[in-house]
Amino acid sequence: MEVWTVVAKLIGAGLAIGLGAIGPGVGIGILGMGAMNALGRNPEARGPIMTNMILGIAFAEAVAIYALVIAILLIFVA
Amino acid sequence: MSKRNRRSLFLKIGVLAVGLLAMIVVSFLGSEVGSGIFGLKPASFLKVEAPQYHPAPERPFPSLPITNTLITAWISMAVLFLLFFIGTRNMKLVPNGLQNFLELIVEAAANFIEDPAGEKHGRWFFPVCTTIFLFVVANAWLSLIPGFETVHVNGEPLLRSANTDLNIPAALAVVSFIFVEYWGFKARGVSYLKTFFQVGPLWSALKLISAGNIKAGAGGLLNGFVSLFAGLLEILSHLIRMVSFTFRLFGNMTAGMILVMIMIFLVPWVLPSLFYGMEAFFGFIQAMIFAGLTLGFACAAVMEEE
Repeated sequence: MEVWTVVAKLIGAGLAIGLGAIGPGVGIGILGMGAMNALGRNPEARGPIMTNMILGIAFAEAVAIYALVIAILLIFVA
Repeated sequence: MSKRNRRSLFLKIGVLAVGLLAMIVVSFLGSEVGSGIFGLKPASFLKVEAPQYHPAPERPFPSLPITNTLITAWISMAVLFLLFFIGTRNMKLVPNGLQNFLELIVEAAANFIEDPAGEKHGRWFFPVCTTIFLFVVANAWLSLIPGFETVHVNGEPLLRSANTDLNIPAALAVVSFIFVEYWGFKARGVSYLKTFFQVGPLWSALKLISAGNIKAGAGGLLNGFVSLFAGLLEILSHLIRMVSFTFRLFGNMTAGMILVMIMIFLVPWVLPSLFYGMEAFFGFIQAMIFAGLTLGFACAAVMEEE
């Protein structure tokens, strides 16, 4: 394989996961902020807040996982 | 607790923590990357193979069309079957032991499902959603057993976490899609198609125009086209769900596998166990999300839009 193809693949994979992690990072930050706010207002609702926060984080994280899948595909398959 | 006892407890914990930290530092310095950074010689007893990831599942028996992820899926089915068979063989009214544990799982799942879906629809959704949950969580947790991926047959690993094969999440996603559509038709009959082909507003606008009321009809015409388009988007979103289901589970499990491999390569002692714990948690969460999303989409499908 030509060297530039390898270079392009590696840069593409790095960009894919690097840029793809920005959005979910911000999203998880907002989720955590919301959960902390809710916890401060209503400390008794710790259980439901925790469960829903983890569910929401898993959804936000899924977007980063898509980017990771693309990166993995670029490196190992393409 | 007396002061003396507490002091000895703190001492024990402190010694343990220092020991674990020392093990982490030693194993990092002795591993290939760490010793390279500090210009040391890698220790021979800490030699770990560089992590290698193959996207496609391996085939340990070249003559048979069986991949190692398929074998693992069979094993987790067998484990679940045996667990529930043994647990419910001679059931008692007052459960104890294994039966108690299984009833705890089933009851928690039933509550989780009947809460949004209601009594009638919850009974439809319960078998499929709970099966998906149990299968995914069994696949995820079985692969965390130490030595799971180290058994080799014909140079290929005999076992590999079933969720890291793209086909198994895809199969589960297709099952979930088919059941959601089936429940939609079962609950609402042919009128379920109205979700996808919203011709109602367009039809009434055309009727108005043909009746001669051009001004009211023209306003309704735009509305009709918009809702027709929204219905077509709904078809697309039902199809894209399958892709998103597949890649969410596959990506999470694969990323976990690679993460553990890389941590073992970087720091062979102590630290990977923390990531094992994290993987156990993520396996549970992903199973819950797969089942919960199926449940959510099913609830949306059976709901009347009035």
